[in-house]
Amino acid sequence: MSDAIQITNLHYRYHDGTVALAGVNLRVAAGECVGLLGPNGSGKSTLLLHLNGILPDKPGGGGAVKIMGETVGPQNLEKIRRQVGLVFQDPDDQLFCPLAGEDVAFGPQQLGLSETEIAARVRGALAQVGLAGFGRRATHHLSHGEKRRLCLAGVLACDPHILALDEPTSDLDPRGRREFKALLRQIPATKLMATHDLELVVEMCSRVVVLDRGSVVADGPARELLNNEELMLAHGLERPHILRHLHPH
Amino acid sequence: MHIPDGFIDGKTALAAAALSAAGVSVALRQVQRELPPRKTPLLGLTAAFLFAAQMVNFPVAGGTSGHLVGGALAAALLGPSAAVVVVTTVLIVQCFLFADGGVMALGANIFNMAIVNSIGGYAIYRGVCRVLPGIRGQVAAMAFAGWCATVLASISCAGQLALSGTVPWSAAFPAMAGTHMLIGVGEGLISALVFLAILRTRPDMIAGTAEPGQPRRRGELLRYGLLVTLGVAVFVAPFACPWPDGLERVAARLGFEHRTAPSLFPAPAPDYRTPGIHWAVGATAIAGAAGSLIVFALALLLGRLLVPKRAAAISGDLKGL
Amino acid sequence: MRRLPAALKLGVALALIAGTALAPPGWTGWFAGVAAVLALAILSSRIPLLFLLKQLLLLSPFVLGVALVNALQPAGRAQWMIVAARSALCLLTVVLVSNTTPLSDILRVLRRARVPALLITTIALMHRYLFVLAEEAERMRRARLSRTFHRGRRLRWQTLATVVGQLFVRASERAERIYDAMCARGWQ
Repeated sequence: MSDAIQITNLHYRYHDGTVALAGVNLRVAAGECVGLLGPNGSGKSTLLLHLNGILPDKPGGGGAVKIMGETVGPQNLEKIRRQVGLVFQDPDDQLFCPLAGEDVAFGPQQLGLSETEIAARVRGALAQVGLAGFGRRATHHLSHGEKRRLCLAGVLACDPHILALDEPTSDLDPRGRREFKALLRQIPATKLMATHDLELVVEMCSRVVVLDRGSVVADGPARELLNNEELMLAHGLERPHILRHLHPH
Repeated sequence: MHIPDGFIDGKTALAAAALSAAGVSVALRQVQRELPPRKTPLLGLTAAFLFAAQMVNFPVAGGTSGHLVGGALAAALLGPSAAVVVVTTVLIVQCFLFADGGVMALGANIFNMAIVNSIGGYAIYRGVCRVLPGIRGQVAAMAFAGWCATVLASISCAGQLALSGTVPWSAAFPAMAGTHMLIGVGEGLISALVFLAILRTRPDMIAGTAEPGQPRRRGELLRYGLLVTLGVAVFVAPFACPWPDGLERVAARLGFEHRTAPSLFPAPAPDYRTPGIHWAVGATAIAGAAGSLIVFALALLLGRLLVPKRAAAISGDLKGL
Repeated sequence: MRRLPAALKLGVALALIAGTALAPPGWTGWFAGVAAVLALAILSSRIPLLFLLKQLLLLSPFVLGVALVNALQPAGRAQWMIVAARSALCLLTVVLVSNTTPLSDILRVLRRARVPALLITTIALMHRYLFVLAEEAERMRRARLSRTFHRGRRLRWQTLATVVGQLFVRASERAERIYDAMCARGWQ
């Protein structure tokens, strides 16, 4: 099985000199769902931004990122961004169009599709996330859960092979979380999720990677790592409650 | 200062619209040339920022409050052309979405508040910065520029009202310039305070400091200067000269004579009929001149007050920004 | 009223406004006609009357100013009323169109009218983030005031200026993130 994502020895420093990523090595196989965990400031968002070439924003970072076997570089950004759908942490950053339908249409428009194809994709994506008929709604008036689903729709409309999600369920009420989880389950793309929602990870991810201060400190099967209370606590996390009460069957 | 519809007549609206269209297209072209693509959303976001900032109430006294307009501030932060685009955007949205300012008067409002206010404010800000060094100088420059920009825009506005015959110059000029000399104090003060707040936390965000010596910047300012001069010639000059028939002369020169339709006001200079009012123009002019000196001194004082000696000393490093 | 095409509404509105602003005062027929059209439009749009009246208050500074000046003149009152009537009719037209037409439609018309793309994008972004920033400003203001224990006006001003300054910084940072989000979906 070929790797969808292959990150080798990735380094990155912020503009003020702080080390954000200190030699990260990570592989994600096609179709896998991997959880990226770590305390705040560990570099999770920074890592995700490398997947579609937004970072590095200045030369001389060091290391390489390969998407579907191709190294990410300034020459193939267009192609990479078609394959990697990045869902940002703050929906208000991602939803920059006044109307919901316009926002979902943005990606297909950039792909150069015909008007009819764009309309079809918008309809399909909105339906897929349970927002059918929301095309003419003002983005600003949507609830937080609806905004998060709209972000997903905008990314799905481009039909990516890989979904990179940055804190997809934060600030959602329990129903919103459940709905979002159900949505994610139905999407067959390879998924890499940076999150604090440990229950989401338990339910969806086969593998977990723990990042702390820019380095990978653990990489293995989800249940095994999450059950390792010592490991969890050492890196600003904790053992999810759901595992304490699960019977091993 | 948003002029509603019905207060300026066709020829004034047309002249102002022509000048504004020229100014805005110069600004757009300049912005596309010099703004890095990464900063494109910054224009829209700054426009949203100005609008949101204008809603913040700075308490003055007994229920009244001051508000930021922000043309000069935008120019100091983003540069003159970007500021023109930003303020134009704000005015367009205010006009169409909030009915603040008339549709026919949009050209005049853009000329006053996006061009005269922003460019005039920028020119004064840069000019004062060259004379006064360091952070204190920048703060004083911002305060003074904010005041001047407000007053200059109000004079342009008065000119447009008088040229339309809605209000005679002898009333419009003292009223507009007079009130805005007071309002301008608030604008200058708030602009300076906000500018300093940004300078303290994120000096890298202050882009409007490209040296005017650069040939590109000089050409840009020249073009705007030409536009503003034209505007002054059309809107203000006829009244600054004490011709009793100044209005008619200007109308004849421009070829705008109301031949078929009767004009709104019977005589070109009705102010001479009302005794005691024509001295107000002279008084306002004197107040303006004196006011500028006073405000400049106050701005200097403000710089001293707000920037403690230690910070002013470090300013040597930041001067290059 | 809401279902009429945007281009039509804008075109008619523009014609009405231009006509009303420029028509000589003797043309009472025109003013009456415009008033009638507006009344019909108001009824069909079902916009609450109180809201419209409140919008008219926006005119007050200018109308009052002109009223004051014209009060000192012989034929003042009639001229003042004409000016007031003109501006009221024009304002109501704008309010009607803006409340029955989404901005996206208006922008589409402008785009077809060859208004430069940069200006249109800027207007769209401003409209999108107006309320976001306004809310942010309000939250910051409340948070700051919660920690202000002195009544001084000077401190108020310092606090508010800091809030406004912070608002710009946040807006700038958000602008960069929006650029990243646009690039992530293929923007060139």
